[in-house]
Amino acid sequence: MKGNVLQHLAVATATDIVRARSVARQEAARIGFGLADQTRLATAVSELARNVLKYASEGSCLIHEDSTATEMRLHITMEDHGPGIPDVAAAMKDGYSTGGGMGAGLPGTRRLVDKFEIESFPGLTRVTISMVRKRQ
Amino acid sequence: MGPSVCVYLWRVFYCCRGEDYYRWGTTKKGIDVSTKSNTAVLSTLLEQNRTAIIEEWKRTVMDSLGHKYPGVLSMDELHRHADMKLSAFSAYFSTCGEALVTVTKESTLGRMVYELSTDHDMRGIKPVDTALYLVALKKAISHRLALLLPNSQEQLVDLLEPLFGLMDQLTLLSFDAYSTTREKVIAQQSQSLMELSTPVIVLWNNVLLLPLVGVIDTIRARQFTERMLEAITRHEGIVTIIDVTGVPVFDTGVARHIMKAVDAAQLLGSKVVMTGISPEGAQTLTKLGISFANVTSRVSLRAGVAEALKLVGRRIELINGAN
Repeated sequence: MKGNVLQHLAVATATDIVRARSVARQEAARIGFGLADQTRLATAVSELARNVLKYASEGSCLIHEDSTATEMRLHITMEDHGPGIPDVAAAMKDGYSTGGGMGAGLPGTRRLVDKFEIESFPGLTRVTISMVRKRQ
Repeated sequence: MGPSVCVYLWRVFYCCRGEDYYRWGTTKKGIDVSTKSNTAVLSTLLEQNRTAIIEEWKRTVMDSLGHKYPGVLSMDELHRHADMKLSAFSAYFSTCGEALVTVTKESTLGRMVYELSTDHDMRGIKPVDTALYLVALKKAISHRLALLLPNSQEQLVDLLEPLFGLMDQLTLLSFDAYSTTREKVIAQQSQSLMELSTPVIVLWNNVLLLPLVGVIDTIRARQFTERMLEAITRHEGIVTIIDVTGVPVFDTGVARHIMKAVDAAQLLGSKVVMTGISPEGAQTLTKLGISFANVTSRVSLRAGVAEALKLVGRRIELINGAN
């Protein structure tokens, strides 16, 4: 966790996915990210939240920022206490899926954001994504 | 002043004279009530003071709610409600021993409160006013009891306790009833919203339009896919335009649903033209690594319609003389 916590949301139902991504979009807009970045972030949050719901059935989404005078820095930590990802390295490759998906979620999410950290073992999966932009 | 009220005053007067209520009960009814529990006494008192309680309650309700809901609440109806409630109360208290029985939704009283709340909800009476309805009844009964037992604080407290216990349960139940009704309404609305939100429009002969609006989850995806396939079969759709202008977020989940729909449409021999992907959406999709390689895509619905018409050998042109 870095800087100020902006929002802490539960992810347990399909409605929570919608809420998490729209809150993330709002926060990004408030900090000053452009429309394209907002959309990317919302999509990334949507991907991660969907994974939480699909594999762990519930978790939480923490939105935090540690922007400076020169940089906008927004982070989102998605956490769950599910079974964990058996092979993280494989899951980060395109086309790998254990849940019947497209296998584009995690690698795609990584491409959408500037920084992507993942740790996963049975009982805890934590993904932190960050978006960093220089202030205009 | 009706004859029953006279009887009341007389009774009140009579029991004020005696040291306690029990003696009055014993002499008046000829039954030994000294061994009766508080709830049984309460039951008897409610029966005996029914009219006075109803009158007071009607007055309070009309004073506080009458002007808010003109023409909605009638005296007759209030009277009927109060009468039913009081009978149910005294029946309830007569079955209770020392301890109060929990009022369930299925019991007579529970059903009564449920019906009241549902009925009020349908007629636009706010939940807080329904609660007031019940609270006023509690007030009316406790007033009456206080009048009957002016010298016996202790007994009054003993009698009020089960009464308040019951009334609190009923108030909680009425709120439960409200939220249940609300939840039902919400469920129905989302159902009807779902019905509304995935129409398949026949744009021209063999040209179908499927405007997607809102969140695409598994249920909605299945629904619009079914409708689209059915429409393609029925109208021999040669081209199907899927417009995604109204889809807020395009992630892999949504993309997968749409791709499956596209594949199914192509199996039925319909070409698919996708329209309305925003510039940000396009960028996001490529970053995610999703390519709609087998789909013709146009930036706007207008361009999509032109393309679709071209595919069926038509075009839109000016009528003679117009410009």
